Amino acid sequence: MARWGMVIDLDKCTACQACSVACKAENNVPHGSPQEHTRRTALFWHKVIAVSRGEYPSASIDLIPMPCMHCDKAPCVTVCPVKATYRRDDGIIIQDFRRCIGCKYCMIACPYGVRNFNYKEQEEQEYHRPDLPPDRASRGPWPFPQRVHGVVEKCTFCFHRIDQGIREGKKIGVEVVPACAEACPARAIYFGDLDDPDSQVSQLLASREWLRLREGMGTSPKVFYLPR
Amino acid sequence: MALTYSTIEGNSRRYNTLLGILAALVLAGAVSFVVSYLKGHQVFGGSNVVPWGLPIVFLIYLIGLSAGSLILSSLTYVFGREEYKPIARMAVFLAIVLILGAMVFIFVDLGRPEKFWRLFMFFYLNNMTSMFAINGVLYGGYLVISLLYLGFILADQPRLTRRIGILAVAWAVLVHMGTGAIFGFVAAREPWFSPIKPLEFLAAALASGLALLILAVIFTLKFTGREVKRETITSLGGLLSVFIIILLVLVFVDKVTHFYAPAREATVYMLAGPGSWVFWVLQIGMGAIIPLALLFHPGLSKTIRGVALAAASVVIGVFFERFYLVITGAAYPLDYYPGKIEGVWGVTGSFPITPVETLLSVGIVALLGLIFMLGLKYLELLPAVESIEASAGGGGEKITASETSVSEGKV
Repeated sequence: MARWGMVIDLDKCTACQACSVACKAENNVPHGSPQEHTRRTALFWHKVIAVSRGEYPSASIDLIPMPCMHCDKAPCVTVCPVKATYRRDDGIIIQDFRRCIGCKYCMIACPYGVRNFNYKEQEEQEYHRPDLPPDRASRGPWPFPQRVHGVVEKCTFCFHRIDQGIREGKKIGVEVVPACAEACPARAIYFGDLDDPDSQVSQLLASREWLRLREGMGTSPKVFYLPR
Repeated sequence: MALTYSTIEGNSRRYNTLLGILAALVLAGAVSFVVSYLKGHQVFGGSNVVPWGLPIVFLIYLIGLSAGSLILSSLTYVFGREEYKPIARMAVFLAIVLILGAMVFIFVDLGRPEKFWRLFMFFYLNNMTSMFAINGVLYGGYLVISLLYLGFILADQPRLTRRIGILAVAWAVLVHMGTGAIFGFVAAREPWFSPIKPLEFLAAALASGLALLILAVIFTLKFTGREVKRETITSLGGLLSVFIIILLVLVFVDKVTHFYAPAREATVYMLAGPGSWVFWVLQIGMGAIIPLALLFHPGLSKTIRGVALAAASVVIGVFFERFYLVITGAAYPLDYYPGKIEGVWGVTGSFPITPVETLLSVGIVALLGLIFMLGLKYLELLPAVESIEASAGGGGEKITASETSVSEGKV
């Protein structure tokens, strides 16, 4: 079984936010108002944070795109009381909206803050938008046809793309990648099978120095960063 | 002389007026719940940074009060201390009312309350590594056991009462340590992560539960025209001071351990960050210093008024201990990457107190007051008085008033 992982080259990233926007479009993630964004009740499956160090003139900024880390030892899976979030055989951490009771314990337990709560019922117009890409029908049934308020959601590594690609016999990581990787103009995001030594991600990790966020938590995340 | 119990008449004007006020508050709470269900949790103060709000604060607070109250009833029914017998039935009943309230608070805090039943599919649909699922077992079992306990007490079965009393006390200890584990086991939240949290919660439960019980006893007995024994109250006050000291020691040990290590930013934030006045003034001041000063004062500690004041101070102080832990603790920003995280992703969380959330909490507390008053009317909980005076009725009014004022105090 594959073990999907992501490698993000921080040397190439320019924080253009194309990944965040592509993620919103692909997964129908609603946009929030500026007030909601400031209050942190807006939904973001993917975000890019800027981390500064030092004072001018010797300041530096690191730009870190942050999808869900899909940890091998995910704390959110441990704490979910109703098995709403679980680990698939291919290592993707999935949130099942039908089971989720909205207790928000996973949001407390996640060290990366990638989990979002649906604070309001989204208006329909935001969800059945006419400007969505026309190739939607080719990707099979939409994984999130509609949202309800009161459940927690997060990045899925675009599992619908992966599943569809496997059904069609395509090469995952080359022909089929998550929306954020596809949209990246600098090609900074690589996706592939970490267990396959010939995959691009494995070769990158073998040949270059890499880091993962918050290693001290012992979560063993599957999103790797190649430092500048 | 055998102690007999009686109900209160509960048809005085005062009793009915209070019942009406509480019912109106319950109705307001019910309306706010419907609003929060239809509009979503945007009407609450929570956000993706501070996911848990007032309902969770009240949940752990009420669980603590309940567990503390039940453990104290064991003084009579398990350890055979006869001097506390007049208040023991009320302690058990109070424990049941409070655990019911805690369950209602869990219910309203869920994003999808209609899936509440999923929390109670023990070992079947539940992930038993989750502290919530384990606590589901503990809370459900606790409710059943304490109902049986009250049933045996009311049916006058001393042997069965003693047996189930032992189980109930052990279970109550587990319940509250489990509640502490919800917070103490989360490694991602540095201000919470601590092996001592379960014990700290237990000590806080004993202190606040006993304090609320003292208040309930004084006001209920007084307003139903019964005699309040000074020795009972002052000896409970002595016990309260012991619990407060244990709590203070545990808080000190927890903070000093986390402060000693080089990775002390979270502790510094909790002790000196924005809003740390809640910790120093309300949690330490009202929860420990003021009550200890009152309880060790040579004159005041021997009076009912002094002990009652200390108890009220503890009840408020422990509430704000919960508030500070749940809301300020969660607001501590997560350290994704070394350095200063710019923009909204790195700021300390904020928690606006919203009217819907406040009204909802007040409504549920009023519901508990309502159940408590009706319980006094229909169950034989209070020691009988030979000459029932005209003032019979109005039981529990002050205690509910004080509970409500606690919940309104932080607005």
